[in-house]
Amino acid sequence: MELTGIGVGSHAAVGDVFLLTTSDEVFEHRKSTHTPSEEASILGTAIATTAATIRDEASSGDATTQEILDALLIILEDPELQEMARPHLESGADAPTGLFRALDEFAELMGDDEDFQSRVADLRGIAARISAWIRGLAAGPGIPAEGSWIVVAEDLTPLETSQFGDSVVGVITELGGPTSHTAIICRALGIPALVSATGAMTLEQGSSVLMDPEGNRAVVGGELSSATTAISFIASADAPLITVRANIGGLADAEKAAETAARGVGLFRTEVLHLSSSTMPSVEEQATLYTEVLKAAPAGKIIIRTIDAGSDKPVPFLSIPREDNPALGVRGFRLTAEHLDFQRSQLTAIAQAINATGRDVGVMAPMVSTVSEVREFAALCDDAGITQVGIMIETPAIVPVMADLEGLLSFVSIGTNDLSQYLFAADRMHPHLGALNDPWQPGLLRTVAAIAESARKLKIPAGVCGESAANPLLSIVFAGLGIDSVSVAPSAVDAVSTALSAVDSTTATKAAKRALAASTPNDAEAAVRALFS
Amino acid sequence: MSALVHTITVTDPIGLHARPVGQIVTLVREKGATVTLRSASGAEGLATSALKMLALKVKTGETLAIVVESAGSSDPDTLAHDIERLINQG
Repeated sequence: MELTGIGVGSHAAVGDVFLLTTSDEVFEHRKSTHTPSEEASILGTAIATTAATIRDEASSGDATTQEILDALLIILEDPELQEMARPHLESGADAPTGLFRALDEFAELMGDDEDFQSRVADLRGIAARISAWIRGLAAGPGIPAEGSWIVVAEDLTPLETSQFGDSVVGVITELGGPTSHTAIICRALGIPALVSATGAMTLEQGSSVLMDPEGNRAVVGGELSSATTAISFIASADAPLITVRANIGGLADAEKAAETAARGVGLFRTEVLHLSSSTMPSVEEQATLYTEVLKAAPAGKIIIRTIDAGSDKPVPFLSIPREDNPALGVRGFRLTAEHLDFQRSQLTAIAQAINATGRDVGVMAPMVSTVSEVREFAALCDDAGITQVGIMIETPAIVPVMADLEGLLSFVSIGTNDLSQYLFAADRMHPHLGALNDPWQPGLLRTVAAIAESARKLKIPAGVCGESAANPLLSIVFAGLGIDSVSVAPSAVDAVSTALSAVDSTTATKAAKRALAASTPNDAEAAVRALFS
Repeated sequence: MSALVHTITVTDPIGLHARPVGQIVTLVREKGATVTLRSASGAEGLATSALKMLALKVKTGETLAIVVESAGSSDPDTLAHDIERLINQG
């Protein structure tokens, strides 16, 4: 049997399946055989003991996980929670039942608070360990410290990943995407993972499995020797086939980028500088901030994106009301209607920073979907004295009308993350939709090809500044599709530059043709990979 | 001694949430201080209770009063600002 999904990491591993499930007995509601006071005291002791154990297990993990776990433990240790459990204990429930009921009540009280509701599963997970301790059941996942285990689960929480020791050599989850918690933690721990792997829960406990993240698969009974090997590119040219720039959010990133092979900045996210400003920064304040960043940025062209905020990414001084559907709401350039003053002040400040530094700078607007919006933005830039005007291509609607943008723009830049979520109508953060947001999806790659073709007809360059370009193979595909530059996180610049210095345009074109001919993401990646192995 | 009231606007994109709340409990306990958070609607929660603070359901852009009744081993102004930093770190 073979499972396919989205591979995380590059090295293969073989281990035995360890299915992460919790016994139903842990959760069942039971009657007490003690007095309410005895149950209350059992609950207090169990919470304290379990919390100490969990803190101990997490102490060797990463700081972010420790902070999140600590916050969850502090909620469970709150005497208020035991107060809420008390009436249930008084009416004859045992300590774990009282605890689960109290948590349910509190979760109901918190209503649609998204942050809290996203933590409820973790809180119940910790409560399950408290219950297991009291009832003498197998506590938590209990992954043996010896052996080589592939942990298999629906999805993993920080509580679960924090218990990973050296015996965990791989992870397979039914849910999750390339940017889910599991993927991020596994990348950090250097453990290969396969996420969004349909059928993962049908794997048998103890069976031997080959993790083949480069091949985006896991094979039952597979041998290490049959794993897909990672491609190591060796630069043969002096410069990459297309320009590689860096994505930055502020001064620290600009300095980091300057230490890489990046030829300039392909995406400067200006909103990052303003996320904590409660009053609107003046033109002078903004100009100072932008000037600092422009001075520190790596040599080459710099592309600045105007403020990209929305109700899910609020900037305090632009009061943005709560929306049911932030990704489809008033965000990016759409804020101009309500906040024209700020849009103008930002463009003026950018123009001043350009004058102060003499850098070669293009300015682009995010979340543009009509020709009228492009005209409006171009006019605003003209008023501010900005000459190189561009837009992000991230809504599907702008793609078919690109021919009408003649004479308005100096460049376009494709934001593949948002373009994917809007093309596929699939929330980037949704745990079940990771596979639709796979950058190898033919629907996305063929759209990128169409954009590159339209830009060629307009005689303007098209770049890609989404996460996808950080994958060296995809960066080669983009080059072959006619994309003129890619921009990636500073940490990925060197790997992408090396890959793009290892191929000529004939090879890149061949890679692009292979990717475009495939009907599934896995076929597209496999066909391109085969060119290099 | 009268309490110090430091009123702030919550700027963290997800409002007053689990992580800073946990850090506030730890800080206030460590200093042996008595601090109450009061939301714009007047609801109050002791800063030693994670549940009470979360139940204030303070969202981005709302005001929140940090009421320091006693600062323990810290001084009221420093403690209020330390708590503000924990809330608006995001």
